[in-house]
Amino acid sequence: MRLLNVFLYEFNHFRKNPAKVITYLIFVFACIYSIYNGFDLQKKQQDTIVSIEQEAQNKVSFIANFFGNIQSQPDALEVLGYIPIYTIKPPSPLLPLGIGQAEQYGFYKKITTWSSTYDNDMVEELANPERLVNGNIDFSFLILFLLPVLLIILTYNIRGFEQDFRFEKLISVQFGSIPKWIFVRFMFYVLLLIVTVLFFIFFVALVNNALFTHFHQIGSLILLLVTYIFSFSFIFYFLILKSHGSSAIAFKMISAWLVLCVIIPGAVHQFVSMTYPVNYMTDYLDANRKETYEVFDLPTDSIYLELIKIYPDLFSTKYAQPNHINAKMIRNTTYAIVNEINKVSIEKIEKQNNSKNELIRASYWFNPLAYMQNKWNSYTETDYYAYRGYRMDVQRYIDQNIERSVFQAWDEIKLTKEMYDDFLKTFNLNFKN
Amino acid sequence: MKHILINEWKGFLRNRVFMILLFIFIFSLFLTTYLGIVQNNKQIQAQKEAQEHISEQWDKMDHGNPHQSAHFGSYAFKPTSVLNSIDEGINSITGNVLRLEGHRQNDVMFSEASQSLLISKFGKMKPSLLFQFIIPLFLIFLSFNSYTQERDTGRLKLLLIQGASLKKIIFSKIISIWLIGLVLLLFATCIQLIFNLHQLNIDTLFRLILLLISYSLYYLILINLTILLSVIFKSSTGALSLTVVIWVMWVVFLPKIIGNTVEKIVPLPTRVEFQDEMDKDRAQGIDGHNPSDNRRQELEQATLIKYGVNSLSELPVNFRGILMQADEEYGNDVWDKHFGTLYSQLQTQKNIYQFSGIINPFASLQSLSMGTAGTDMFHHLYFLSQAEEYRRDLIKKLNNKWRDGNWDKSFFNSIEDFHYNVPSFLMFIGKYLLDIVLLSLWSVILIFLVKYLSKKTVIL
Repeated sequence: MRLLNVFLYEFNHFRKNPAKVITYLIFVFACIYSIYNGFDLQKKQQDTIVSIEQEAQNKVSFIANFFGNIQSQPDALEVLGYIPIYTIKPPSPLLPLGIGQAEQYGFYKKITTWSSTYDNDMVEELANPERLVNGNIDFSFLILFLLPVLLIILTYNIRGFEQDFRFEKLISVQFGSIPKWIFVRFMFYVLLLIVTVLFFIFFVALVNNALFTHFHQIGSLILLLVTYIFSFSFIFYFLILKSHGSSAIAFKMISAWLVLCVIIPGAVHQFVSMTYPVNYMTDYLDANRKETYEVFDLPTDSIYLELIKIYPDLFSTKYAQPNHINAKMIRNTTYAIVNEINKVSIEKIEKQNNSKNELIRASYWFNPLAYMQNKWNSYTETDYYAYRGYRMDVQRYIDQNIERSVFQAWDEIKLTKEMYDDFLKTFNLNFKN
Repeated sequence: MKHILINEWKGFLRNRVFMILLFIFIFSLFLTTYLGIVQNNKQIQAQKEAQEHISEQWDKMDHGNPHQSAHFGSYAFKPTSVLNSIDEGINSITGNVLRLEGHRQNDVMFSEASQSLLISKFGKMKPSLLFQFIIPLFLIFLSFNSYTQERDTGRLKLLLIQGASLKKIIFSKIISIWLIGLVLLLFATCIQLIFNLHQLNIDTLFRLILLLISYSLYYLILINLTILLSVIFKSSTGALSLTVVIWVMWVVFLPKIIGNTVEKIVPLPTRVEFQDEMDKDRAQGIDGHNPSDNRRQELEQATLIKYGVNSLSELPVNFRGILMQADEEYGNDVWDKHFGTLYSQLQTQKNIYQFSGIINPFASLQSLSMGTAGTDMFHHLYFLSQAEEYRRDLIKKLNNKWRDGNWDKSFFNSIEDFHYNVPSFLMFIGKYLLDIVLLSLWSVILIFLVKYLSKKTVIL
């Protein structure tokens, strides 16, 4: 009963303290603003995707009509080459809860036979770089960086106030255990913050109909959130117990926040940067330019053999036969060789990025914030690996498109309705009219 | 006032916690500045090697005709400034590699931020991180304690009885704490000077001095504000809460909120819209690779008339070179229109953001810090414009050679590599005047407010 009274007393204290209420309301307002921003980014991405799909849909409809009117079978390569193929990374319904690294990458890519996963159009959307440096008011940022500050503002004078005015002894006379008294008062704010954040998480999940479709991710986010708040609470509670006076408590709490949220991540960032300086991707540039031009300079026989090596089944196609060899057509499909060269160089880049990530992950035990933010971003599908997965999808589309083009060219395949339907299915072009 | 100031310093020097913290700051500053320089030099070296690699490739390659070489193109690698070791600015966000080729103006690719998982939201542990986030907080706590402690312990009354004026006491405290900030700033600057001695020039020195002045003004603002609030508020905890809230608003909330708002006031096109608009305009011009193009035929006729011949085969020059240059020049107009609009939108965004210094001096400080370090958007856009100028010059040389004929390896080898001339800060100073004015205004206004309040406050 006594515990409950202290808990209720804290509620009254909070209610009557304008500074704390205003600070809390600022946080709530910031959460609303961040979620609005998240929805805004999500909508922008969706609108862009819709406009891209519209363009593809128009061309698909045109070809569909064309099938009804033609007398003879057209050339597959020519007709299918008319339809734009895109690989798209649709935003996760949980994106409003964490923008993460979403603004660092592109989310749509036009696939051609000359594409690669590090093309110019794979870069981020147009944005002011200084705005990107400052970042967005992102919900995950509020939770991971500002929620601890709010907790400091709400709790630094628990016990500190009583110590400043020297009536702490009165508390021990009236209540008994000071640690217990602090704990109950502290828990009020911890619960208040957890409930507040949970409200926003469920709100986004409900608005985006993700409660059941992304049940696992939402559950994991909540678990992560609770663990995070409790970890910081434990540190702050310990600091209150071991310090004297509200300004000393505030100073130590802010210092703990600075160390965990700014200094350690900054130091790790600097170390990682020294170990793996900015990659100017010269391997990829060589593949994309020098080695590509070397392929162009190869004699047709060599290109022929290289292509057969990549696709052994090509050997049985029409133009692979000795009496049918068509030099122009063979040279026109060199992109398949270039694609293989690009893939080798890209694998090196991905490996280096992975080593860099390994180093970052190795720091997680003393850099918990980096773990928290990357974990959070992975649930909202906005971390490095979500975009790496997207790059893999792009590469898969490129490979499929190139293979299709090469075989259609070498075998001079005529387009049938079945082939056309299969093409739409493979490249996800079956739009609902 | 001199005695109070000396006394304040004596007090600081006798305080064990203060001395430990000061030592930690000096040590961290040394380490971060030194490591920042090491990391920067590594990056400068990597950039140099990449540029040499590409240049070597150009020299060694077997150039077919000049137009093939235009397609082969070149690369510009964004160079790193010496003061990048203090403030990295936008460098980790923007790409570092720019492809320079015929027929198109490209965008920079391969940003550092896209090459790994997220590590730090506040950037690397560079001196700017300490200057902007950690030292200010240290100064806030020192200032807050310095006045409230005197008041709460009754020592302030004693000092006043002895004849000191409140104004003198308060300003002595402000100056003594400000000097701590200055010492830390000067220390980091000295490390920078010592380890970068061989790369120093007048421009870098000027930039460093302005950087130092900007931060010292910002520290003066913070200290004045903290003392002002502790004088106004009777409750020391209330004053501290408000100061911390203001600090968080300045460094965390406002830059993000204002940045977002500015992007809504001056919206940028999406990449698809931007590309589509350019493609549309580009399609209306000459298409160098499309023989059925009407505009190509018009150019053909005009060239025949100019040279007084009847067919292309009678021309004393190669028509394809003329055609490609015409195509290029039309393309340049299109790029100028679209990239020009985009860059001016970005600059408008930045200008609006700079006005937020009226309510947030941190915005002015950040702008000056990145600007003096040569790592802000203005410098980035300058790099892009220089690279584009080089591209146009390169392609023109190649097209003209194709037109005139008689090329050999010596012609290709005579083409100079892209060299970025770091702009002198004086060239850009006009862009930062608003930041300088706002920081100075904040300082002056707060000094006057403290002066006014110290006259009005009755202690005895």
